[in-house]
Amino acid sequence: MAPSGLRAVCLVVPLVCFVGPARAQLIPIKTIPIAQGDQFQIFPANNLGMGSASIALADSLADPFANPAMGTRLTASRFFGSPTLYSVSRNAGGGRSLPFAVLTRRALWYGGLALALQQVDPSRPPQPDGLFVRTGAVQVFPNSPDSVIPGPDLRAHGNEYAFAMVGRDLPGSKISIGASAMWTGLHALDGVDLLYAGSQRVAQDGHALDLRLGALKAWPGERGDRFLEALVLHNDFAATHTVTYADQYWDPGLEEFRQRARIEHNVDQTHTWGLHFKYTVPFATSGWRIGWIGTLNRSSHPKIPNYELANVPAIPRDPGYTTAFDLGIGLSKLRGLASFGADVVFEPIRSYTWAAAESPMSTVSGDTLAVGAKTIENHFRFANALLRLGVGRDIELPGEKKVFGLQLGLMLRSVHYNLRQQDNVQDLQRRLTTGWMEWTPTWGLSLRFPEFELRYAGRTTNGAGRPQSTFQVGWAVDDVALAGGTLLAAPNGPLNLTHVKTTTHQISVSLPLR
Amino acid sequence: MTRHVRTLCILAVLGVIACDDPAPIPGVPESLDAQLRRQFTQWNIVPIGEAPHQDPAMVALGQALMFDKILSGNRDVSCATCHDPTQHLTDGLALAVGTGGSGSGPARTLGVGRVFVPRNAPTLLNSAIGLPYIFWDGRLTRFGPPLPDVVLPTNDLLQAQAMLPVLNRVEMRGEKGDLDVFGNPNELAQFDDTQPNAIWQGVMHRLVAVPGYVTLFNAAFPSIPPTSLTFQDMATAIAAFQTDALMKTGSPFDRYLARDNNALSVAAKRGGVLFFGEARCSQCHNGPFLGGRDFANSGVPQLGPGVGQGAPLDKGRGELLNFQFYQFAFRAPPLRNVELTAPYFHNGSFATLESVVKHYNDVSTSLRTFDPSTLPASVQGSYHGDVGTINAVLATLDGRLQSPLHLTDAQIADLVAFLKSLTDPAARDLSGIVPASVPSGLPVR
Repeated sequence: MAPSGLRAVCLVVPLVCFVGPARAQLIPIKTIPIAQGDQFQIFPANNLGMGSASIALADSLADPFANPAMGTRLTASRFFGSPTLYSVSRNAGGGRSLPFAVLTRRALWYGGLALALQQVDPSRPPQPDGLFVRTGAVQVFPNSPDSVIPGPDLRAHGNEYAFAMVGRDLPGSKISIGASAMWTGLHALDGVDLLYAGSQRVAQDGHALDLRLGALKAWPGERGDRFLEALVLHNDFAATHTVTYADQYWDPGLEEFRQRARIEHNVDQTHTWGLHFKYTVPFATSGWRIGWIGTLNRSSHPKIPNYELANVPAIPRDPGYTTAFDLGIGLSKLRGLASFGADVVFEPIRSYTWAAAESPMSTVSGDTLAVGAKTIENHFRFANALLRLGVGRDIELPGEKKVFGLQLGLMLRSVHYNLRQQDNVQDLQRRLTTGWMEWTPTWGLSLRFPEFELRYAGRTTNGAGRPQSTFQVGWAVDDVALAGGTLLAAPNGPLNLTHVKTTTHQISVSLPLR
Repeated sequence: MTRHVRTLCILAVLGVIACDDPAPIPGVPESLDAQLRRQFTQWNIVPIGEAPHQDPAMVALGQALMFDKILSGNRDVSCATCHDPTQHLTDGLALAVGTGGSGSGPARTLGVGRVFVPRNAPTLLNSAIGLPYIFWDGRLTRFGPPLPDVVLPTNDLLQAQAMLPVLNRVEMRGEKGDLDVFGNPNELAQFDDTQPNAIWQGVMHRLVAVPGYVTLFNAAFPSIPPTSLTFQDMATAIAAFQTDALMKTGSPFDRYLARDNNALSVAAKRGGVLFFGEARCSQCHNGPFLGGRDFANSGVPQLGPGVGQGAPLDKGRGELLNFQFYQFAFRAPPLRNVELTAPYFHNGSFATLESVVKHYNDVSTSLRTFDPSTLPASVQGSYHGDVGTINAVLATLDGRLQSPLHLTDAQIADLVAFLKSLTDPAARDLSGIVPASVPSGLPVR
């Protein structure tokens, strides 16, 4: 299939990356339909095959990682492992994770520990179906005699995750409180190496810290309990990208084109505070539940990398802040061995980023912008929507204490935003209204024995793309790159994306410890 | 529940199908920087690297030779006469005035019985940048046939160029019977034009007789006896000086190329986008030098004594053997520091950058309506403005220039702003390269 040639906007600006144990309370932001690997789908979830519906449908595996107070629902100590693999089509990237965790309860206390190791392949531009294969920038010209330019880094790099959670039920009050912390050592964020067009290699080094304090209050009722969840979170992300470029230049002595190394260090920092509430109640006839969520994220981006896109050098600094909301409603029904869940989430987001002058800049009107003055201001207004729905059916195998389960689901994310960009140097204002849709069919199988549970879940995300390399002719350089993480960026030029699919497979094994 | 499953299956299938053709996202106008950077890629605009380090002794010898009038037959002009540092290594004249003239810079006048050099003296700024063609007609090149009348002992274009003016009677050598500034016979002028080696040896004979040069020779060529040196060695030294002292690639444009987005003003950026786009300048002025690699008949008014068989016209590259299809075509010069090197074109027929851009805005009309009163009085009489000449020039006008650009005055101003951004501040004052004296004792100015 030929590349779809999806045309998007090229950005110079922030990549806001959240690394947390569960991203439900961290609202992702994307301004272009970039395909992102499922790098952070690490821990197991019951509902992964059901479109990850989660508002009114409990998920005993995933919930404690999202809100530590949900650990109160643990009835016994369990060990699990959930090897997860993801791949981006057209040979554009992939990765694999191997987490192990123990969740345990003793009297009123409960807690958990989890460790995960992850390997992420280098991201590559989507290959156009066998015409040619590129695994990195092509070295067109000889190197400068005094410059050593490393070749593309084709090795996979690893990340480490450590998670700890502790909580306690408050007797007599039906209240449980819990806290969790997750630390991540980062050396490979999927797609980041594509963010620096024309670079020879990108070395990443960073960490993320996610702290959560949660509470759960239950009110018993005839048709079932009502629950109120509350969560406060703080997420810090900091990474440094050491980018090596091979810059072409004319060597007047040798009278030929050559290339020399240029190394840039880009810092990527984002701090996020979040507040999350969820309220679920039994609804109508037996088995139905309805739930509501409200989530607030406030992020500041003190430093965002100077990405190199479409051969457009970066705006020197581009800090900003974002306020994002999730307002959702969910329905679920449990009837015998069948389950159904559906979530609808409205996601308004406002974001403000700017570029600051590193040196005095004269404007078109003859004024001078002082150092630190805002040269470009970007005002984003998002109106995103999220739909998750899925069904599951367990089948008891006759004569044995085995249960076979099937799940099917769909996630749909609609992104729509307006951008108003004010260029204070050129005294221009540009506006953009755009959006796209991402579809993610999900599926799952489970096999439950008295001794252990075995689950498989998969999903494929469509509707996004990755920057495609262009065939190089003569002295042309790469048409660029962009990908990875949550993305908040301001248009600056054209960028071509090629449609890719991201497919994730997770196998989880869970067994009781006693 | 079965209904739910069926609905989900249908939605999933529709989703997969739909996502193979994602909805296109409308683009937004590119910023000036984005446009410029993209255009740089398109036109192969890359930074210029550092010039190679030169032997200081060689540079000192080259500097002395460039400013010493001993190289000319009449001992009255040096390389720096036409490549005057005060004029940014041109002479500020439309057509150069060689030996026998008097005065300097734009005030320089022809000597009695002398003729103008038929073409404008190009600047030597960045002459060591690695240009593939030398001279307005590009006759000196590593790509084409050798010069028809001279066998050069070197393949280095910069050295080769330095060896040629001393052979030229109008520029430096003088006419048979000339007396030098001391009233002595000009021995270099006595050789036939077909004896370049004898002329070069004659120059060397003069140089080795000067003790100051012997000292410089011993420092620059310690392993070669002065009497064994050739004029090619002198050209090597001159080229070393040009490489060491005349490379000026620190313009705002160069800083912008080196990734400083603040280096150019908004007007210069707008002009740059025009230069590489709508104004079509980069059709010829492209590559790392912003020119120097292409030839075009730009519809320039004919002026001067003419060259070769085409005289009194100057057919430029079309005058060269086997290049007749290049009628009236001249090299598109490299543009760094162009602000400093007026007047412009191969015959200096336009005095300002504004006038040059306006000429390109509508070449045909500009040529037909050219006002010779804008020329210096000294060359007005040699303007060939007859209809036949104009039609001849326009008959082979470069195809890239045949349709008017329709640039507005504001756009022309932006283009000029961009051209001025090509100026290295260090090139504005070159007085530091002028030696106080030269070994021959002849006046430097």
